[in-house]
Amino acid sequence: MLDPTKFANQIQRRTFLNSAGVSLGSAALSAMMARDARAATAPNEQRPLPHHQARVKRIIYLYMSGGPSHLETFDEKPVLAKMHGQAMPESFTKGQPIAQLQGQKLTCQGPMIGFRKHGESGQVISDFLPWHGKMADDLCILRSMVTEQINHDPAHTFMNTGTAINGRPSMGSWINYGLGSEADDLPGFVVLTSEGGRNPQPISSRQWSAGFLPSQFQGVQFESAGDPVHYVGNPAGVSMAQQRRLVDAIRKLDEHRDSSRHPVYPGGSRALQLGASLTSDQPVAAERGNHRDKPGGGISAHDPEVAARIAAYELAFKMQSSVPELMDLSGETQATLDMYGAKPGDGSFASNCLLARRMAERGVRFIQLYHRGWDHHGDLVNFMKISCGLTDHPAWALLTDLKQRGMLDETLVIWGGEFGRTPMFQGKGGPGRDHHIKAFSMWLAGGGVRGGLTYGATDELGYNSVENVVHVRDLHATMLHLLGIDHERFSVKHQGLDARLTGVEKARVLHDVLG
Amino acid sequence: MPISRLIFWSLIMWLMVAKSPAAEPIDFNRDVRPILSDKCFFCHGPDDKHREADLRLDQPLRAETKPGELLRRITTTESDEQMPPKKSGKNLSATEVAMLRRWVEQGAKWQTHWAYVAPIKHEPPRVADETWPANWIDRFVLARLEREQLKPAPDADRITLIRRLTFDLRGLPPTLDEVAANDHEQLVDQFLASNAFGERMAVWWLDLVRYADTVGYHGDQEHHISPYRDWVIDAFIDNMPFDRFTQAQLAGDLLAADTSTTRQRVVEPKAESKTDPSLARRANETDLLIASGYNRLLQTSHEGGVQAKEYLAMYAADRVRNLSGVWLGGTVGCAQCHNHKFDPYTAKDFYSLAAFFADLDEAAHLKKGSDQTPTVRAPEMRLLTKRERAQAEKMTAAERTAFEKSARLSMISSAIEPREMRILPRGNWLDDSGPIVTPAVPEFLGRLETGDRRATRLDLARWLTDSNSGVGLLTARVMVNRFWMLMLGEGLCRSLEDFGAQGQSPDHPELLDRLAHEFVDSGWNVKHVMKLIAMSRAYRQSSVGQAFQPDPNGQTASNAQSVLARPGQAGKPDLHLGQSRFRLPAEFIRDNALAISGLLVNEVGGPSVRPYQPAGYYKYLNFPKREYAADKDSKQWRRGVYVHWQRQYLHPMFKAFDAPRREECTAARPRSNTPLAALALLNDPTFVEAAKAFAARILKEGGNTDESRITFAFRHATSRPPDDSEQSVLLSLLADSRTDYLRDEPSAQKLVTTGLTPPASSAPARELAAWTTVARALLNLHETTTRN
Repeated sequence: MLDPTKFANQIQRRTFLNSAGVSLGSAALSAMMARDARAATAPNEQRPLPHHQARVKRIIYLYMSGGPSHLETFDEKPVLAKMHGQAMPESFTKGQPIAQLQGQKLTCQGPMIGFRKHGESGQVISDFLPWHGKMADDLCILRSMVTEQINHDPAHTFMNTGTAINGRPSMGSWINYGLGSEADDLPGFVVLTSEGGRNPQPISSRQWSAGFLPSQFQGVQFESAGDPVHYVGNPAGVSMAQQRRLVDAIRKLDEHRDSSRHPVYPGGSRALQLGASLTSDQPVAAERGNHRDKPGGGISAHDPEVAARIAAYELAFKMQSSVPELMDLSGETQATLDMYGAKPGDGSFASNCLLARRMAERGVRFIQLYHRGWDHHGDLVNFMKISCGLTDHPAWALLTDLKQRGMLDETLVIWGGEFGRTPMFQGKGGPGRDHHIKAFSMWLAGGGVRGGLTYGATDELGYNSVENVVHVRDLHATMLHLLGIDHERFSVKHQGLDARLTGVEKARVLHDVLG
Repeated sequence: MPISRLIFWSLIMWLMVAKSPAAEPIDFNRDVRPILSDKCFFCHGPDDKHREADLRLDQPLRAETKPGELLRRITTTESDEQMPPKKSGKNLSATEVAMLRRWVEQGAKWQTHWAYVAPIKHEPPRVADETWPANWIDRFVLARLEREQLKPAPDADRITLIRRLTFDLRGLPPTLDEVAANDHEQLVDQFLASNAFGERMAVWWLDLVRYADTVGYHGDQEHHISPYRDWVIDAFIDNMPFDRFTQAQLAGDLLAADTSTTRQRVVEPKAESKTDPSLARRANETDLLIASGYNRLLQTSHEGGVQAKEYLAMYAADRVRNLSGVWLGGTVGCAQCHNHKFDPYTAKDFYSLAAFFADLDEAAHLKKGSDQTPTVRAPEMRLLTKRERAQAEKMTAAERTAFEKSARLSMISSAIEPREMRILPRGNWLDDSGPIVTPAVPEFLGRLETGDRRATRLDLARWLTDSNSGVGLLTARVMVNRFWMLMLGEGLCRSLEDFGAQGQSPDHPELLDRLAHEFVDSGWNVKHVMKLIAMSRAYRQSSVGQAFQPDPNGQTASNAQSVLARPGQAGKPDLHLGQSRFRLPAEFIRDNALAISGLLVNEVGGPSVRPYQPAGYYKYLNFPKREYAADKDSKQWRRGVYVHWQRQYLHPMFKAFDAPRREECTAARPRSNTPLAALALLNDPTFVEAAKAFAARILKEGGNTDESRITFAFRHATSRPPDDSEQSVLLSLLADSRTDYLRDEPSAQKLVTTGLTPPASSAPARELAAWTTVARALLNLHETTTRN
């Protein structure tokens, strides 16, 4: 028997795994079901996931949107300090893409903050991030990141999808598609946002889009004000009991129509046959969970689309309770709230970190927290104080909390932006830095990751990543690896190609940083 | 490998061939090409950069290529010889190997890919059952079914058929009068003649050409383009021949310049306020310029620090992808960095196509990009659409002046001296080392005879629709396949966007070919082809029928099985010649609820409208920050096709029902079934308000008993009366709701004051609220929202 709330997800993922298209209408769906049954005998078509033993169950991605400066966070550059105010050597910049500094004189800008060593590992972290210092031994700092897009919007797309081409699935959607949600009443991919810092760059919902994957794998945005999920609240004047009754009536009518239209559903390729009985003519039967007023009432529908729809309505109704419950921090102790610095409902990064832990507990697979405000073209010191002030402590709290609950080992936490910032001065109101794609820093922590390690290096000015260079697709390959997925074998047919998150270029798993 | 060994193996193969029994003839394009394309073209296809062993399998085999050797290499177990090589990650299944073996056995015959061969005007075939066909389409369909010893499905019942027709041709539910009608043809004609037909077709077309109200990148500011949408709607209403429709969009500005004696008037932003008084008189020219807005529909960025050169390259590529997706049914976009891996498009073809658009004036908006919304995207023009001009005709001079002053701006195309277009090595915009190209069509498809004159967008558009010296028949085939999809749920060729080697070959190529000819012969008459399909018996089949059931005599079960599992067509479920049922597209979900409730405002054209939307949905937008203000007048209840299309934050209800962002050409929308969609249909104020209005209507028009009212409501939602069991479910829901709201009048009051409409009923709030609950149930039924 199937859990109805996983039912829709399951049949649609199952069917999609074997399909070239994305059409999931009734005919297509059932046709694909038939195809699925056949494909079971054809090896090599699809291998079951995971490909290997997973090290982590989920990912929490702290996305520092706008592009934090690596030169004021994790990459100390004494030579750059010495060259402060001098012309940037042309050997570095000639023929390179440049964003807002196009056509301007390029001058070295020394680091604007001090660095010090932390923890037993002696990891070097800037004084903008004192709380990061306290968890230095848990962090694996990647100092040699590179990306390919220099403007925010395409760079976000590149970081999320591995390409600047539109219409590709985001990493969260890939993972949700591959592994699904562990929760039966929450989506597998959730996005939260907060802001604070310099002129928050816009962030498009494209960044959590499912691209060419079926739309149920897209990221679902949770809001701190109003309905946490769109339309999750009942209409004004409607109670939960009334809504339950309404959903039941809809279900009864749908089931009735289905059975009166299909007294005997044709046994051809268009019949849906789920579960073990792939050849029977029996209607789909699925257990309906613990719903009170219909004992033993499994979903019973001949038409797969009707069955999927009933399951969707059941899950929708469940979400009407589970989502508010998730967002309600009143059950957390004051000590916990204080540890994060979270004030319920304030929409801060601190609150979002706490919500991330709650989602992790409930089985959300990919949790992405955007913090907007890292685009420091000018007045960098001031804005770093703000951005770091809002994120440094909560990130520590999240790691610490996960650790004390025994969840850090099964979680991969990632911190980073869409690119770094130039070693060259930019002065939109006080010294700042422009966008930079040839070098930037990120960190990983959690299950399978070697804490206390600094991996890769940039040149003496922090312009180019020169040692153990980590491309965005290497990061993606490593994430998938930790989840038990081989990035080369995880593909979906799109426009005739086996599309992968890591694309067609060679990507490598960063085995050196894995413990 | 030593030659002697090669000869030896060839001989063995030949012996095997000689011994095997005569098998069913192999069709290279149907059976073999898909395997070769998917598993072999990557190294042995059109891309010369990755070609191995100087072997091509995308062209007729050269004399020295031994098919037997090919067979040996795919069956050998020696890992260094095995094809495809292990490291490719590709693998041939046993059935695929068997198919290739049979192909070699039958002489390894090669055919040009079906989509590049001009359609043949096949004669409708003979059929055994002469009583079934309603028109020649059916002869093709039935002959194919008979060949497979399959039977068509029985006809759909009358109500299902009428609902199907109206959803397909209007995107709206039927009225009760229409449900009572008996003359199928009369209904078809009536629906095709309606304005709703234009709106319905526009929903489809706007997905293809990626129409949206905002720029898409970064700040996602609004831009001026809604007159283009109106033009598309009216073009379908007026049944504009598709060749003219194509030319106007790709090259309307060039056509307008041709027809105009004076220089075309392009309004620069500063001169916006000076309205040209002669605009209304130069109707044709204006319409052509509106249509030329097609070239401006792509996503653009106004982010500070964009590199003009990079974005010019991005925009050029965007246009090529769209042209290719919309008209060629091809994936030319894959040739941006390298020659296409599967199809004969070269990187040179890609940049030569891009060169057609090199005359478009991009400099202006790249320079003037700003943080304001609507953003400035010159060239724009203040103009009146056809309908607005008709309105203006009826006005006094003073009124007209004011009306013209308030006219909408629209982005248009404007030709300037073409900029240089180079092949970008590996698509790298920083690399200027590639050769310069001039406008040209893909080489393998022919060439434009323009002599010394540089070919233009107009030449391109004419070539696309010229069935003699251009690829008109290929274009027609791409389009009729999509008309078939609109009417039967899937295309005859199921990969609507890809007719290339990696797409699927059509289940019924002869029918597809013949329809393409019909389209061209009828003068690219869209309504003619749509009517032909609507009148066919194939269209009228039940979607729940027996179409794919084996013949009851039992002899054909294995035969049917072989159709299902034809080797080389892995995953091919059935012949797609039957009807389907599917959930309505997002816009029609909205239209349907508004129509049932009586709220729908049926006006054609105008600026985009803003339905209710969750507060704060745009808070992640910036440059500038913005607040969404929902319409507070009758615009609130207009059709979905007019809803403001914010690319980055598409209306949540549209998003939940799979409407695309319109960043790229979308030929087929997914049809998902998710909890987010259920939440929208249950709780979005638009639907709650519709339920409330529906409730008022039920009380007013549904008679005086609960039973008569439920029957009335049920018929309006589903076009049929409820049976006893349905009556009782709804009566009980009504009774429970009454009890609740009797106890809790304030809640009833809250429910019935949802939305802008005043409660249009004198009934007490509790009664209206109870009926609103019933109405919500009906609007949420699977049957109500499904096209069957």
